[in-house]
Amino acid sequence: MSTPVVFDAATRVYPGSTTPAVDSLDLEVRAGEFLVLVGPSGCGKSTSLRMLAGLEDVTSGAIRIGERDVTHLRPKDRDIAMVFQSYALYPHLTVGENMGFALKIAGLSKAEITARVTDAAKVLDLEPYLDRKPKALSGGQRQRVAMGRAIVREPQVFLMDEPLSNLDAKLRVSTRTQIAALQRRLGITTVYVTHDQVEAMTMGDRVAVLKDGILQQVAAPLELYDKPANAFVAGFIGSPAMNLGTFRVEDGAAVIGEARVPLPRTATAALTESEVVLGFRPEALEMVAGYAPDAFAVEVLVAEELGSEAFLYGTLEGASLRDPQLVAKVAPRSVPPKGSRVHFRILPDRMHVFSPATGEALPTA
Amino acid sequence: MTTVISAGPGHEPGPARRGRVRRLLDRHWYAWAMVLPTVLVLGVLVLYPLFQGIYQSFTDLNETNNRDLICTQTLGGGEDCVPNPDRAQFVGLDNYVDLLTGERGHFWLLLVNTVVWTGACVFFHYTIGLGLAVLLNRTFRGRSLYRVLLIVPWAVPAFVSAFAWKFLFNPRFGLINSLLSNVGIDPVDWFNHRWTSMFAAIVTNVWLGVPFMMVAILGGLQSIPADLYEAAEMDGATPWQRFRHVTLPGLRPVSSTVILLGTIWTFNMFPIIFFVTGGEPAGETEILVTGAFRAAFEGLRNYSLAATYGVLILSMLVVYAAMYRRVLRSKGEVW
Amino acid sequence: MSRRPRGRDERSLGASVALHATLLTATAIALFPVLWVFLASIKPQNAIQSSKVTLIDHPTLENYRHVLFDTSFPTWFLNSVVVAVFTMVIGMAMSATAGYALSRFNFPGKRGLMWVFLITQMFPVAILIVPIYSIMASLNLIDTKASLVIAYCTVAVPFCTWMLRGYFDTIPRDLDEAAALDGLGPFKTFWYVILPLARPGLAVTAFYTFLTAWGEVAYAIAFILSDKKLTLGAGLQQFVPQFNPQWDLLTAGAVLIMLPASLVFYFAQRHLVAGLTAGGTKG
Ligand SMILES: Nc1ncnc2c1ncn2[C@@H]1O[C@H](COP(=O)(O)OP(=O)(O)OP(=O)(O)O)[C@@H](O)[C@H]1O
Ligand SMILES: [Mg+2]
Repeated sequence: MSTPVVFDAATRVYPGSTTPAVDSLDLEVRAGEFLVLVGPSGCGKSTSLRMLAGLEDVTSGAIRIGERDVTHLRPKDRDIAMVFQSYALYPHLTVGENMGFALKIAGLSKAEITARVTDAAKVLDLEPYLDRKPKALSGGQRQRVAMGRAIVREPQVFLMDEPLSNLDAKLRVSTRTQIAALQRRLGITTVYVTHDQVEAMTMGDRVAVLKDGILQQVAAPLELYDKPANAFVAGFIGSPAMNLGTFRVEDGAAVIGEARVPLPRTATAALTESEVVLGFRPEALEMVAGYAPDAFAVEVLVAEELGSEAFLYGTLEGASLRDPQLVAKVAPRSVPPKGSRVHFRILPDRMHVFSPATGEALPTA
Repeated sequence: MTTVISAGPGHEPGPARRGRVRRLLDRHWYAWAMVLPTVLVLGVLVLYPLFQGIYQSFTDLNETNNRDLICTQTLGGGEDCVPNPDRAQFVGLDNYVDLLTGERGHFWLLLVNTVVWTGACVFFHYTIGLGLAVLLNRTFRGRSLYRVLLIVPWAVPAFVSAFAWKFLFNPRFGLINSLLSNVGIDPVDWFNHRWTSMFAAIVTNVWLGVPFMMVAILGGLQSIPADLYEAAEMDGATPWQRFRHVTLPGLRPVSSTVILLGTIWTFNMFPIIFFVTGGEPAGETEILVTGAFRAAFEGLRNYSLAATYGVLILSMLVVYAAMYRRVLRSKGEVW
Repeated sequence: MSRRPRGRDERSLGASVALHATLLTATAIALFPVLWVFLASIKPQNAIQSSKVTLIDHPTLENYRHVLFDTSFPTWFLNSVVVAVFTMVIGMAMSATAGYALSRFNFPGKRGLMWVFLITQMFPVAILIVPIYSIMASLNLIDTKASLVIAYCTVAVPFCTWMLRGYFDTIPRDLDEAAALDGLGPFKTFWYVILPLARPGLAVTAFYTFLTAWGEVAYAIAFILSDKKLTLGAGLQQFVPQFNPQWDLLTAGAVLIMLPASLVFYFAQRHLVAGLTAGGTKG
């Protein structure tokens, strides 16, 4: 019985500001889907989520939950549960009361409330803590109470605004998988906000990338990784980030240092300038011994050896780049030393080409 | 013919103006409902009389001419009313001129008294309050007991403290004079001289007002993050420098509000002067409020003159508050 | 013998002595007038006004007996309790709701209201007595307790509202939003979520409103005409004829007045610091 959610050109302009915090957002969250909203700080993720929750007025456009237009409904009439970044647990209520509060307000019987709270507590391993006040819980436990408060409601939609950002790195990883698993089991449509692209990639059925209030791309994680719609998405998704640089184009090939890297014909055809933005992920670089026409020299600045993999950070020699820094993934345990000079080539089918004017991806096939 | 497509709330047909009012009401009705009782009570009992007072200060209203109608009982049990021929009249700025030129009352004497009174009281409230708060902000044994005991004067009703201190300052059997004579000083006839009399009142009011300041400042101190002090210590600041550069700036938001409020309250502090000195000797320790009160309630009740005092007090305080605000703002303080 | 090095939070003996000496002096000054009134109240009538000042002189409860059984004191006391309790309850209700609205909502008229609060503190109450008297008279409230309760609310509510607003500002807005999603409207949110969390602020408000009403004199004298309806502040004035104060009755009465005030104070004092500051840090 899950419900889809639709943002229909939803716009939010804060009073006193001229630029919209969220600009004409068109987004459909499918029934039962786990959708992640991701983007850099201040891009309007929280604002979008809060519009859906009814905590922020919609300046123009509409929001629908299922068949209902909820644009002007009060939060309490939307049948939505939300997990706040601060968890927003009521400090004066016990864990059990916190979880059952919405049900009590809704007028459910005591027995029903107890049953549902106990069920949720069982799922979240919170049974021993039901009589404690939130103050007496650890960060991870509070996070679970916040989750519990949301799930006992059995709402049509779950909203979560960076629910993991107050946890330590390790706990964040384990909680991440728990939340994803729980959502899949309950099958409730979920919108999840994060600025952490790893969270976005690992948790979401689909990921929506926002920048400056404008939706950049919505796609499944791998598609986002493999086929970024523009240079922003390309640089935002993936860690370490994709190498992006602007290069001169001569005779259908990009000039990278002394190397000439041929561009796909489709891309050059769409290109209007004599420059191009190239993107290549660290793992799309291949170390070559000695000279090759499409290989360029890199001076190694730092080598990060992680055991299972290794990354080289270097400067691109002879490049007229604004930022000549470059990251390459190399085989571990035989990393070239700092200061040495190595050659790389870009694996041809792993290269992304973007228009320098618009940042849009150019067709490569 | 026009077709109206009604699309939920906020899209009501009708004149734009009514729609706007409706929308405002829709959005804000609960906020307005929440402030309504307060607004009603303050509006009826403070704002309305205030405007009335401003109006009266331009008339010669007093006890004898405050009726618009003169009514006489008729035989049938009804009333027969005629307009009062002597009813209060509009006199323009006469009251202000009379007051400010000293024609009536002793405005300038009262003003000097008020300024001395307010300045001294607020100064001692703040400095003593700050000193005690700084001491109490440390950890040591017995701290909370000291705190409770030091707040006690706040719980004492103002007129009781006035009596208590008047009792202590009593020239004949007061403890203070008997202590003075014990150390070989002649007893002072406290209420027989302007400044000793004022001194007694100020002591009383300082005693009464320090706890409020102390508690407010103590709270302000506790809101200064401890790591600021630690950082200053790492930078090699001496305790005095830490006080000067961490404590005082950290207290500024609290200080600025309590000093403003303290000034306004002390300026209009009625019971202490009224009960402790009663204006003795011969009205020389009256302040503006007590002067106004006497105008309104003693002898021929002169309501218009009292109102004139009130308007003058109000305007001085408004100017003061506005200047205070400006000074704070020029120092980068948002208020 | 080597001395143990001083820990960070310890201070030298000298500093300790100075600290306690200062605080003891301050405490003595804070308590002394109260204590002195108490000591006087248990002296026989003639010893109070004797020019030979003694600490204790033939202690007796005669003054108390006199006040309690030979005057209207008990009635006044009861009147005062009723007036103060009603002022406290109504004043708290008014300032809490108004403070919440000011803290959480942006509504037309908000700025004006804040100014009204400041202005009402500036106009001398002493002068308002006459016009308020006429308003009360036209509402037929003269010589009733209600007139006092309403008048005291005008005195106490502006400051309390402003202070509670500061306190509510320290309660995270997230909680309001969580409550909205949990199905609460603004009034229920206020009642179920905000009020339980605002105890320190409310304690200060209770303390402040109670005290405002408890010892007030001017309004009480002006509005209450019959002896049986007087409150303590006004009633005790009868012991102060111009030239011959009845110190025996006054001192005993003063001590009795302070008892309920201390009770309220005792319950509020734990919260005073936290409650007042939040208001203090916000303009
Ligand atoms: N109450 C407000 N009034 C005015 N502008 C606001 C308000 N709240 C947010 N903004 C602005 O709207 C934009 C989007 O804010 P939003 O909180 O949605 O960002 P976000 O994507 O959640 O960022 P973060 O990852 O830092 O939480 C920002 O530029 C912010 O400055
Ligand atoms: Mg955010």
